[in-house]
Amino acid sequence: MSRSDDPLVGTGFRDRSRAQLGQPFLRQAIPRATDHTIAALHDRFADVDVAALRERGRRIRAETIRDLDAHLETLVAAFERNGITVHRAADAEAARGRIRSICSAAGARRVVKVKSMATEEIRLNPALAADGLEVVETDLGEYVVHLDDDRPSHIIAPIIHKTRQEVRQSLSRVAGRELPDDTAELTGFARGQLRDAFLSADVGISGANFGVAESGTVVLLTNEGNGRMCTSLPRVHIALMGIERVLPTLDDLAVMLPLLAGSGTGQLLTSYVSMISGPRREGEPDGPEEMHVVLLDNGRRALLGGPFEEALHCIRCGACQNVCPVYRQVGGHAYGWVYGGPIGAVLTPLFRGFDDGGELPQASTLCGACDDICPVKIPLHDLLLKLRRVGGGRAATRRERAAATFWAFLWSSGVGYRASIAVGRLGLTLARVLPARLRRGPVLARWAAGRGLPGRGGRP
Amino acid sequence: MMSEPIVCFPTCLVDLVGRRLADDVNTVLGAVGFSPIVASGATCCGQPAFNAGHHAQARRVARRTLRRLGDTEGPIVVPSGSCTAMMRRHWVELFHGDRDEILAAAVAKRVREFSEVVDERRRRLSAFEPRLNAVAGYHDSCHMLRELGIIDQPRRLLGYVDGLEVRPLASGERCCGFGGAFSLRYPEVSVAMADDKLADVRESGVDLLVSSDPGCLMQLGSRADRRGDPLRVLHVASVLAEAGVGR
Amino acid sequence: MTRLSGVSPAELRPGEDAIERFERELGAVQATFARSTPETLARRIVEALREVGARHVGLTADLGGGRRALVEALRAADIEAVHYEAAAPSRDALRAMDATVTGCVAAVAATGSIITGERAGRAGALIAPTHLCVVERERLLDGLSQALRVIAGSGSSMLALQSGPSRTADIEKTLIMGMHGPKAAHVVLLDGRLDEA
Ligand code: SF4
Repeated sequence: MSRSDDPLVGTGFRDRSRAQLGQPFLRQAIPRATDHTIAALHDRFADVDVAALRERGRRIRAETIRDLDAHLETLVAAFERNGITVHRAADAEAARGRIRSICSAAGARRVVKVKSMATEEIRLNPALAADGLEVVETDLGEYVVHLDDDRPSHIIAPIIHKTRQEVRQSLSRVAGRELPDDTAELTGFARGQLRDAFLSADVGISGANFGVAESGTVVLLTNEGNGRMCTSLPRVHIALMGIERVLPTLDDLAVMLPLLAGSGTGQLLTSYVSMISGPRREGEPDGPEEMHVVLLDNGRRALLGGPFEEALHCIRCGACQNVCPVYRQVGGHAYGWVYGGPIGAVLTPLFRGFDDGGELPQASTLCGACDDICPVKIPLHDLLLKLRRVGGGRAATRRERAAATFWAFLWSSGVGYRASIAVGRLGLTLARVLPARLRRGPVLARWAAGRGLPGRGGRP
Repeated sequence: MMSEPIVCFPTCLVDLVGRRLADDVNTVLGAVGFSPIVASGATCCGQPAFNAGHHAQARRVARRTLRRLGDTEGPIVVPSGSCTAMMRRHWVELFHGDRDEILAAAVAKRVREFSEVVDERRRRLSAFEPRLNAVAGYHDSCHMLRELGIIDQPRRLLGYVDGLEVRPLASGERCCGFGGAFSLRYPEVSVAMADDKLADVRESGVDLLVSSDPGCLMQLGSRADRRGDPLRVLHVASVLAEAGVGR
Repeated sequence: MTRLSGVSPAELRPGEDAIERFERELGAVQATFARSTPETLARRIVEALREVGARHVGLTADLGGGRRALVEALRAADIEAVHYEAAAPSRDALRAMDATVTGCVAAVAATGSIITGERAGRAGALIAPTHLCVVERERLLDGLSQALRVIAGSGSSMLALQSGPSRTADIEKTLIMGMHGPKAAHVVLLDGRLDEA
């Protein structure tokens, strides 16, 4: 994807996070929602050997990714046996192109979509709209995001950043009248709108939570049931699947489903799990006439065999976002692209390059809470550290590295160390007595914005 | 009773802003029967540069500290959870394939966090009848909690202080927002994280916040200070010293 | 006892009773649970449909030999009963359905799930506001891993696990039922076989 058609929003994490910090609702809503989900997660796994379950999850993902091409080959063969047309897309543009031509071949006018991070990743909706297609997102949250021309701010809960009032305004615009201030009523209104869309759409587009190689099955999870509606009612179903989403067997699925549901929402299983192994066959009552799977690379294959391969183990459960103390403050939009929180800070530079996303690995305190919660035990903390090393090539970090080199020069000698500590202490003492406007040093100013000076009374 | 020499590496942050904390550490170590020897010439474990991704620079500084510590014997006490984690866990990685690799592994094994060392001799604390009237909460340093698993020891030590009620914090395991360079790179987020923590502390009715990491102490203490919050923020060693241990 | 017992929450624990667990988990996902014999099945279903005021009901082919009796019972109770596959090609007929009755390929005790296949229609179980599923006792399996193994060999073009009614918590985390699929999901465990009904 050319960068210019999908820039990261804002100039940097600091600016973006400042904008988010200024939103009182966000500051309340995210802690409330994420605490709730994490508590549900712990409850869910309370009486099983969750360590063993996570270890199984990790092993399945690690072994699959290590041998990804072989598993993909099996998957593609099984898909084709099941009558599914398989397309491979090297990047976002290729994927968009494939999907656009399938839609145009089908003579489509209206497209219904299931929430999918992969389609967000390739910015599919604007491309389809440009072709004159009417695109309807059918996940309630994503529907509202789409109405508002906004972006989702959480992998699982896309409108975690919106108040009910905001949702009400957006839906009222569609209704052409003021809708009542009631969640059930608002949901009911959306249901009616979307039901019409399901019944009249020509094409349904989904992501794929998993693709099972043994059976050639696309696995799709939704709580609302829109996954199943989108893939059952329209004439054509297109699933966009990241190449890393393959699982070798249904036994593996038996491990991953409860891990994903438990970690994502604290559920035993997601309410609707669709296992789709091809289009409608002769004699079946309903289902699409055509089914396509578009396998999306978009930077994934380049990670194979390298130091960041483990990033491909991710099953997008969102748990690392939910425990992240930084995400808790700033939400997903501060990360500038589609993935937020720890996994976003890892994936964005890897998928978008360091010019764009190289700063994000710094936007973490390295507290390690994400490592502890990840259902497939991705060492996020470690990946962030490694990315910080690689990211050293950026202009901003070149300056910083020069500073680090000077620091290393001073602190590797006793004299240099003692002298700089003395200067530091003197600086702190002076800063305490000098008027505020004279405390200018960049380090001190950034510290002192919101914090007193440390070391009063000889204690940190 | 003969006192046993023990190497103490106070860390750079303590050198810079915590001279009294260094005294508290020595006092408490002395009280449980050690005679602390401050590692001469050791400067910094290299953590700031290591975490920022500048390994060469981190190695250069850490090498000095490593070699100075390598000249000593016996356990090395460090009054900082994150520096302990850096030395114990990450030095091996930092010096991987380096000429000091073997030394780094050997020194790493000797590094002990302050509360671990004192906890082994905690019974000696009772002799001082330590007392401090306060309602305390303990904040886990992230690295001490997750990388070292040192959770019970500091809490046990606080249990020896009469008059000190220790309450659990709802946000006990959540990061304070320091994160080294993070606190300067993203001051607004860092401060917001501290506020989150402090709000929970206030709700718990705590007036003394205790931790084992000078970074967390500095972050939370400075923020409380700026907000005019009467909360006191102290290292475990300072609490024990204030309670009369070593008097 | 299944392979992942004690490790995965989606499996029965050693010695656990499948029916008890099934009932409990269905409750936890806001589905209702009832038991029936082949003799009382038609009456039970009529009662349940009356309670929600259903007027147009689709019955799917996976009810097998039991479907005819059910259709008759519904019609006798003045409820319009149609075969789902006959109605499916018409969008208007789909829109008009206010309940569907399906069988299932299997059910999973440990997760409170039913699994429907293509004979129930890909959309059969969720097109209407009320869904009623008949689970023959022998189709109730212990846990997820067993269920996936059983259906692995089925060669089905579509299988769907569903646990309770459709839901969303997108707006300020308030849980609302019936976002797209049914608002109410009823499960009837049949002590016997459908073709005896
Ligand atoms: S990195 Fe782990 S915790 Fe985060 S979304 Fe991926 S699987 Fe979930």
